[in-house]
Amino acid sequence: MGAWVQEIYQEITDLDDGDWTSLLTLAITTYDSNYKRNPSQEQSARLAAASEAAAVQASLTPTPAPQAPASLVIQKDYSSAAVLETYGYQTRGLDVSNVSSVASTSETEENNAFKPNGLLGAGQITSSSSFTPNGLLSPTSPFEAESDFPSLPRNLIDISRSSTRTTTTSSSTVIRATSFGGKTLLLRRKLATSARRKLAAATQGRKITNLLDVPFHRLMDEKIKLKSSVASRDYRAPQSSNSSYGPDDTLWVDRYRPKTFTDLMGNDRVAREALEWLKQWDKCVFGKSKGKKRRRDEEENFDANDPHQRPKQRILLLSGPPGLGKTTLAHVIAKQAGYEVMEINASDARSGQIVDDRIRPMLETGYTVKSSKPVLVIIDEIDGATGAGTISFIHKLVQLTQDRARKKGRSSQPGEKRTILRPIICICNDINASSLAKLRPHAAQLRFQKPADVHTVKRLREICIIEGLKAETRALSTLVAVAKGDLRGCLNTLQFINSRNEEVTEAVVRNSTKGMKEAENSIASALNSLFTPLSKKRAKELGLNDEAETRYVSRLSHEVDACGKDSAIAIGCFLHYATLRRHDANFSRFEKANEWLMTFDALSAAMYNDGDFALSPYLPYMLVPFYPLFQERGAPRIERGQEDWDNLQLTKTNEEIYKSLGRCLQTASTRHGGDFRHLGNSPILQLEFAPYINRIISPQLRPINGQHVRPEERVLMSRLVDILATLELRFVQERAEDGQLTYRIDPPVDVFVTYDGKRASDITISRYAVRHLVAQEVDARLASRQIPDIIEKGPGKQSSFFGGAKSKTNNDATSSTQDDKPSPGKRPRTDVAAYIDIADRPPVDFFGRLVQPTNKKPKSGARGTNPLKDTVAQKFNISFKYKEGNSAAVRKAVKVSSFL
Amino acid sequence: MSLWVDQYRPRSLEDLHYHLELSNRLKSLASSGDFPHMLFYGPSGAGKKTRITCTLRQLFGAGVEKLKIDQRVFLSPSKRKIEVNIVQSNFHIEITPSEAGNYDRVVIQELLKEIAQTQQVDLNAKQRFKVVIINEADSLSRDAQAALRRTMEKYMSNMRIILCANSTSRLIAPIKSRCLLMRVAAPNAEDMQAVMQHVSKRAGFDLPPDVAGKIIDDSGGNLRKAILCLEALKMQSPDLSGALTIAKPDWETYCHKVADLIISQQSPARVMEVRQKFYELLSHCIPPTIILKTVADRVVERVDEAIKADVMHWAAVYEVRMRTGSKKIYHLEAWVVKVMSLYKHFLFDMDLTGFDD
Repeated sequence: MGAWVQEIYQEITDLDDGDWTSLLTLAITTYDSNYKRNPSQEQSARLAAASEAAAVQASLTPTPAPQAPASLVIQKDYSSAAVLETYGYQTRGLDVSNVSSVASTSETEENNAFKPNGLLGAGQITSSSSFTPNGLLSPTSPFEAESDFPSLPRNLIDISRSSTRTTTTSSSTVIRATSFGGKTLLLRRKLATSARRKLAAATQGRKITNLLDVPFHRLMDEKIKLKSSVASRDYRAPQSSNSSYGPDDTLWVDRYRPKTFTDLMGNDRVAREALEWLKQWDKCVFGKSKGKKRRRDEEENFDANDPHQRPKQRILLLSGPPGLGKTTLAHVIAKQAGYEVMEINASDARSGQIVDDRIRPMLETGYTVKSSKPVLVIIDEIDGATGAGTISFIHKLVQLTQDRARKKGRSSQPGEKRTILRPIICICNDINASSLAKLRPHAAQLRFQKPADVHTVKRLREICIIEGLKAETRALSTLVAVAKGDLRGCLNTLQFINSRNEEVTEAVVRNSTKGMKEAENSIASALNSLFTPLSKKRAKELGLNDEAETRYVSRLSHEVDACGKDSAIAIGCFLHYATLRRHDANFSRFEKANEWLMTFDALSAAMYNDGDFALSPYLPYMLVPFYPLFQERGAPRIERGQEDWDNLQLTKTNEEIYKSLGRCLQTASTRHGGDFRHLGNSPILQLEFAPYINRIISPQLRPINGQHVRPEERVLMSRLVDILATLELRFVQERAEDGQLTYRIDPPVDVFVTYDGKRASDITISRYAVRHLVAQEVDARLASRQIPDIIEKGPGKQSSFFGGAKSKTNNDATSSTQDDKPSPGKRPRTDVAAYIDIADRPPVDFFGRLVQPTNKKPKSGARGTNPLKDTVAQKFNISFKYKEGNSAAVRKAVKVSSFL
Repeated sequence: MSLWVDQYRPRSLEDLHYHLELSNRLKSLASSGDFPHMLFYGPSGAGKKTRITCTLRQLFGAGVEKLKIDQRVFLSPSKRKIEVNIVQSNFHIEITPSEAGNYDRVVIQELLKEIAQTQQVDLNAKQRFKVVIINEADSLSRDAQAALRRTMEKYMSNMRIILCANSTSRLIAPIKSRCLLMRVAAPNAEDMQAVMQHVSKRAGFDLPPDVAGKIIDDSGGNLRKAILCLEALKMQSPDLSGALTIAKPDWETYCHKVADLIISQQSPARVMEVRQKFYELLSHCIPPTIILKTVADRVVERVDEAIKADVMHWAAVYEVRMRTGSKKIYHLEAWVVKVMSLYKHFLFDMDLTGFDD
């Protein structure tokens, strides 16, 4: 029916404006020619048709009240039923008079209803151009037309829409009509409906047919109720803002929250990836495997060892600035994938306890109490709460996901943890929050970006149209720019404007977003505004005029303040100011900048040292002067410098080295009656001891065979070894990246003579062979030093005996561990060195003199050798307990006989 | 085996080579039986600690040389653990409260009270009191110094305190007035020469006086540094012949490089370069005040007389600011910019103000 009504309408546009009675006749005749029905129906149908046509034309000027009863029941086809609905609403509008304007105007206009009125002209012209079959009242119809009907209850438009949709039964393509003037008109019929619309119509119409044996008014009431409940949720359902029933009590943010996956806007890739991740759980949760096409992707992400075939990363971490729809996405994909959502957000307490009490049972059972759907846990604002419990919360959460199924034999124990078979989605704003550090490696991370402003503006405009809010596109883009893509903020602002019945103009937007401007600011952006003049575009965004543009102090101080990291910005300024190109002949600007930096430092030091945080509001002002001093148009974008941070890290590393050197000195002083203790104090260690000890321990030695060493060199060598051994400085063998073996001193005291990556020129770099030689000597010395401790406990008689034994053993051990690579030529020297070391000992050496060639020590196991003297009953009666292996798990006692 | 610095350190007051009148005074004080609290002050490497140890030996005999070194853990008010190394004998205890950082007050209070409230039990001990040596007394916080005040008076019968500091300026007046001040001046060149010769003789080699002279020149009155330097030299070139280079600490060489950079060119690029060097120095844990002082000294050496005073003046100004501030590099760089500006003005001999504005 709608189709032909529109055709009539098209004709009408060609007709004389005044000829309204002819129009009505035309409508009726047209209808007659197409639909032959019983009279009673026909009459009402005719009237309805006419009224609809008139409504279309006259922009809903109420038609004269037809006499047909409201309870008329029509069973035949959709079209007539729908017509009746349309018709019914007209009568209802009069009877119930809940549409006040309809009621009030109906009588007065009864007589001249079909006379042209003022609305006709304008409405006609604007809508005729965009008129398509079915277009006017269908969901995709231009909304201007609808919003022009302020008094029309929402549900009624819907009904009439359904009626127009379903009128597709006619077969003829040309309609013949006669006007009152006797003119015959041929109206060509257009095949109007697309397949999709038909489908939609069918689904929508079905319910109505099924219910039609219910009295119509009851049906209407039901429908109204249904509508009012659905309307608030249905995004696509157009809603008149000042509809006569139901106060506007929902936030637009909630009303236009995307309900399905396809409604999502922006961040398409993130949305898809999130859904994909969730889909990977299907196998585990629903037990069904997906199509073969996806198999390849799965193999990458799946943990092969996992018996439940869960994704490797069992937590999804969504991050991004507020208002971009992270929470919405989580809910939508959960719904899409068929989960029941359990949400935990910052309003809930957050402690490790919660994980045990709520999350774990939920995840273990897998279902919520009410629903049969599997549960999905959304932990919102996971970074938000920074209380004491957060860390343990995250720790427990990570543990939760890492728990493996225990062996079956033990699983019967009460309190046994079961594996988690349900997905968890965490949502945060700042992915780099320190509290999340533990979570990050275990989570699949997805980052939300701000969608392009165009998309946001488009969505906002759609909403404005639905809400009947007049909005300039310019104003909307301003709003989006100010809000920095925060859709929630935009919507709230719009609703706010709407509630004051204002139009959305730029001025209004500026006015109502005053507080929003400096919501969040990064260090880099603050730095950039300090060093680059305000761009025209940004000035416009901020709505500044020329005069306000030149005033920078409050603008910049606000910006710095909003960032909240004054000292980081100060460092940024410091790192940056000297790199600028602007010429500064006498350093006057540099001096000024430094003055400001020092004032900043003095203030912040006073603030932090004395805890006087009342000073903090003044800090941003100390950085503002960089703007007049250094602003430079066209300067490259400033990145946050890393130098200061790197330096800090390096300092920390070096401090550690100093500390370990200090510890070495301390042990040395313990051993040597407090000799070294004065060297370890704070400035002396760095300024005097560290540089000189490096020189003392790097004499020039020749890497030659020990037997050819000159006596003075031998003295030098022994002195060197003495010092190294006293300070417990060792040379540790290391393999460089290129496979070369090197000896590194440990602790690495040589960093203190290395500036700019170069060693001091007066210190010769000792060669590998020399260091090798020294290393062995030092190790031998250190090993022999441990012996006295052991001897003290044993019988004094045995001291030299065991001393020798121990020394030799250890020497063997060290040479076998450290001496894997060197050329065989060096091998004898090791022995020589060791021999010198023990030469003054009586030749009763147990292992050294090899009196028992059969009792050969195993070289391979020497590493873990820890000779214990269990019983020394007689002089040579020794039991030697050797345990093979190097971990307690595999260690076992081995008898000497097994070596023989 | 110990380094020469320790190995040939004089053990008794008689062995000391210089400041003989000071040694005599200490000797008579130690034998008088009325030993006061003392404050030894003087530059680094002048022999304060050596004199303190010698005095202790004079007081208590050889028993003080039996040292025991251990760590004590103190609890800060916020229940943080503070570890402090303690060197002690039966007769004395030696602490460095600055190890505890901000909590040095806790260390002072707890440790001193504990010592002060126990009487000497050893009846054979020569003195009825114990001695507490507080190293780096000038870095004691105000709180710690205040805590020391009353303790010094109240427990006089059980305890004597020997403070050791570089300068008295950072000690509060009440502390100074309770102590007998002992200034240990840096040795002059002849004294140092004598000590060096003594060390070389004990170590068994001949030290040519000119080599010793060079080392002494470089050491700036710091005997410890001189002996360390001597040992390094001996290790590197054992025969002490040929062209010897006296090793300077690397940070010092580096500071001189920085000074040269400042003088050779004044430009923003150079400022950045110098900043890099400062960062390098700071990362080697060289105290920023020392950096500033060393660089300033070198700059003053090389610039014209006319601006020497200015350079030093500003160095002093920025050092004060640096001590109050927390971000040292700002102040170092501010000084560099200032010096560059001064130097440029001097070079062009005109007021450049308004040149590029």
